[in-house]
Amino acid sequence: MEIVEIITKSIAAGIAGIGFSILFNVPQRTLLPIGIISAIGGMVKFGSMFLGIGIVFASFLAAIIIGLVSIRMAHYKDSPPLVFYIPSVIPMVPGYFIYKMMLGIMSLTSVNNTDVYIQNLIDTANNGTKAIFILISLGIGVAVPMLITRKETIKKITPKQE
Amino acid sequence: MNRNTNNASEVGSVLLDVGAALMSSGASTHRTRLTLERLAAGLGFKIELLITQRALMMTVIDKDQEHFFSRLKRTSPHRINFKMVSGISRMSWRVLEQNLSINDIAGELKRLKSLPNYLLWIELGSVGLAGAAFCHIFGGGFIEMIVAFTATFLGLFVRHQAVRKKFNLYVSIYFASLTASLIAGLAEYYHFGSHPEAAFSTAVLFLVPGVPLINSVTDMMDGNIHNGLVRMTNGLIIALAIALGVFSVRLLLTF
Repeated sequence: MEIVEIITKSIAAGIAGIGFSILFNVPQRTLLPIGIISAIGGMVKFGSMFLGIGIVFASFLAAIIIGLVSIRMAHYKDSPPLVFYIPSVIPMVPGYFIYKMMLGIMSLTSVNNTDVYIQNLIDTANNGTKAIFILISLGIGVAVPMLITRKETIKKITPKQE
Repeated sequence: MNRNTNNASEVGSVLLDVGAALMSSGASTHRTRLTLERLAAGLGFKIELLITQRALMMTVIDKDQEHFFSRLKRTSPHRINFKMVSGISRMSWRVLEQNLSINDIAGELKRLKSLPNYLLWIELGSVGLAGAAFCHIFGGGFIEMIVAFTATFLGLFVRHQAVRKKFNLYVSIYFASLTASLIAGLAEYYHFGSHPEAAFSTAVLFLVPGVPLINSVTDMMDGNIHNGLVRMTNGLIIALAIALGVFSVRLLLTF
């Protein structure tokens, strides 16, 4: 049951990735690879959450995998890596937590009961920190493979010039 | 191929056009710099660059160190266009491999600028599907997915119309966020589906400023702190515009 859910959610992530890549006007030859990369990212994220890893670290792992696959795909499809990794990472943006945080902040302005207020405060802080850390880990996770492999790419290029 | 016929001013104007196109289509600062330097090296020139979010400054230096060309060019914020980024990147390799001339570069840039976008209906439909897929990821059922599809579809349409009517970027995003969350909010108000908040929270996700935020982190990691901060601020203002739209609907519906 859980495995089926992981797979359907990964496929959903793939569809979301393709939708965003059309919004960003990517070349047609990269549409399908972007869908596959997004689905792989979703599989890594939901799979590692299934294994008990927290959502922040799961997003970080997924972003690293997306970055790595994007660099390989960039060589095959002759497009810069950012064309692949930006649409693929967007399905993992923590919109739900940001939304819950905003609702929480709104309720903090109006609740009078102390117990409810403290519970709301805890929930809001929890959702807000999750959202911020997921965003940071997505940004850095995607950048890590780029920073590591950049030197390799330059080495491969130099003999080609001569 | 006689390289001496290229003069510094001609090369400078074309390279500035290429750089402006890259920056406004959503390339990172490092990529813009790398591409321009690659192009200049292929043409036999050396360049020095100052890249900011809204303007480019370039000095082109001749091989003989006698002729200089310096110019400032404003870059206009356009919509994100990865076809342009990808096309310019491919072209920069061809400059090295096939010795393209400056006219070839200008021609290729013109061709890339004239490439059509995806059709509006295809774009609206696929982004709508993406909204429905998001809704599924966050635990929405079939009815919520239909709500998310409709909200995303109409929200993006409103954004297109607002941009076409030359509204301010952030105001257009506010309108789109308002439309999308109004549709999802009404569905929640009339109790469509069993888990309506899934649709409400995913309806505005298509507006998320993913490109500014991710490029911001990339820029800062590359040491372009200034551009990174500018991009991050831009992303935060977009997020604020989205949040204002959602808040407005929340206030409306609690009356």
